[in-house]
Amino acid sequence: MSLHADVSATFSADGAESFHVDAEIEVEHGESLVILGPSGSGKTLLLETVAGFHPHDGPVTLDGERVSDTPPEKRDFGFVFQDYALFPHMTVRDNVDFGSRYHDDTRDPDDLLAELGVAGLTDRYPPTLSGGEKQRVALARALAVRPEVMLLDEPLAALDVPTRQSLRDDLADVLADATAVYVTHNRTTARALADRIVIMNDGKVVQSGTPEEIFHRPESPMVARFTGSNVIDLDDAPSLRSALDVGSDDVVTIRPESVIFGDDGDVRGTVERVVREDATNRVTVSVDRATVEAFVERAPAVGDEVWLTLPESDIHVCRMAAAV
Amino acid sequence: MATSAETRFSLNGFERRSLVVAFVAVQALVFAGTYTIGRPTWYAFFMIGSAAVTAYALDGDGFTVALATMGSVLMVALALPLFLFVSRQVPSLVVEQALDSGVHRVLYLGVYGPLLAAVASLIFGVPLAHLLSKGFPGQPLVESLVDLPLVVPHSVAGIIILFGFGSGGAFPSISVLGSMIGMVLAMAFVSAPYAVNATREAFESIDDRLEYASRIHGASRWETFRRITGPLAVRGMVTGGVLAWARAVSEFGAVAVVAYSVSFFYPFAGEKVTAQHAPVFVYNTYLQGGLEQSGAVAFLLLAVSGVIFLIVRYLTTDTTTTGGVV
Repeated sequence: MSLHADVSATFSADGAESFHVDAEIEVEHGESLVILGPSGSGKTLLLETVAGFHPHDGPVTLDGERVSDTPPEKRDFGFVFQDYALFPHMTVRDNVDFGSRYHDDTRDPDDLLAELGVAGLTDRYPPTLSGGEKQRVALARALAVRPEVMLLDEPLAALDVPTRQSLRDDLADVLADATAVYVTHNRTTARALADRIVIMNDGKVVQSGTPEEIFHRPESPMVARFTGSNVIDLDDAPSLRSALDVGSDDVVTIRPESVIFGDDGDVRGTVERVVREDATNRVTVSVDRATVEAFVERAPAVGDEVWLTLPESDIHVCRMAAAV
Repeated sequence: MATSAETRFSLNGFERRSLVVAFVAVQALVFAGTYTIGRPTWYAFFMIGSAAVTAYALDGDGFTVALATMGSVLMVALALPLFLFVSRQVPSLVVEQALDSGVHRVLYLGVYGPLLAAVASLIFGVPLAHLLSKGFPGQPLVESLVDLPLVVPHSVAGIIILFGFGSGGAFPSISVLGSMIGMVLAMAFVSAPYAVNATREAFESIDDRLEYASRIHGASRWETFRRITGPLAVRGMVTGGVLAWARAVSEFGAVAVVAYSVSFFYPFAGEKVTAQHAPVFVYNTYLQGGLEQSGAVAFLLLAVSGVIFLIVRYLTTDTTTTGGVV
């Protein structure tokens, strides 16, 4: 089942300026769409609006059928919340079985919990579970009603790294054939789970496309920075400008993993910082007044002079007009 | 509150309880001694002095000692009259009153009437509390109306009720003056804010996402209230109900104006009887029979209030009733 939403909603809290969400998303049947954006960009509010929790203008359609005026309980969605939102006064089994009295065709809670590796928790209460266990139960509750579309709001955000990685693998399996909208601020998760990605900022969609397009061809410096690319204003790096054939008022972006260290290269720079990251090192090199990040296995020393090669095929040019 | 690093002694739970028991025992002994020799004033000074010394021994900080000293003055004002009231009762008079069937009716009415008021406050207060917890246009106006009885003198509240629902007011077919309905109305007027506010706080403490989770997985708004919001707020409702009940038990002004004495069905006699609400009865006894006579009745009412107080304390401090959820 496909989902299309083109919604506009205003949110206000006491003492705070109102926040406006005005965004359009489209998910094809069996596709996982990831809404990626910084904290406060409105991605959770967009997801909740699509779910029907907030009044809004504009259509939400399922397979072309308008559900904008349909209450949440009739929209046929499953929802996994960041903070789990398990019912604390019900056992795990009752949580997972919650929707069975409102849906004709639901999955057996015991089978579902076993599939997700938490079969032994059925008679426990949510306050006694770990974060990872809670999130698996929350996932089971959402899957139990066999929803047409799964909505997931940063389900891994509150978990420690090993639990997050383990659950991410399980989620990848669960979402493989599901129609899903997944909200996150974590680009690694987005890349791992997305068929397509929507980047949100300040309540609006600023770019959408495949993970390849988003990560390698960002349309603005904001998207490039948020997805972890180098953003280089060529005015700050004249030696790089002379090595590249681009316009005068452009910024270029390149993935750090595409930058090559060597004895020779396009430009020469000075190592400013070296940060160890798992099996690699993230090295920041200053080139004129700009900085370029790269990943290298053998860490140079801070202050070393190094040569960098920026393969032309990996360089993407952004217009300054798009510089937000 | 001082952290353990700021105190002189780090006490574990057992030591803390032992200290409290020892402190209370010493207070009781000294009070008994000073009362016996006819010098209760000495106990007042002892109470202040012992609080200061204990604060110094435990904390050693001058500021804490000053706080304890000033606070104990208030404790003297609250506790000493209570201690003397209990000590000065004439047991035979208390027993006599306790065996008086007229007093039984008063105590029955003093618990039963407030219970009706508390139930009425909850039946209509819970929906209002739920609305207030969600917010709506004009909410501050409604909040002000709910809280108004907290600041209106209660005799004035009684007058307001008579103007509103008495002769010439709304619902002229319903008699409120001197009736059970009037008494419950007067009690509900002054106690409903407690029921509404406690319940509202309970609703507000529930994460919106629990309701979202319920709705998105198929439950309607009513089903969400029935299965999620209601059960999670039940402790707040019960607390609000008991607070309203306790407030209504102690109500004097509004009831004295609206329903000085009322007729009601008394199940132990199997017939309708007439009696006064307990605080009104105590005041009446004081005017007609003097301090000793009214003191004995007041002692019985105090015992009833004490039980209600313990229930309130249990409900407002114990978290095991809902597994610490709410």
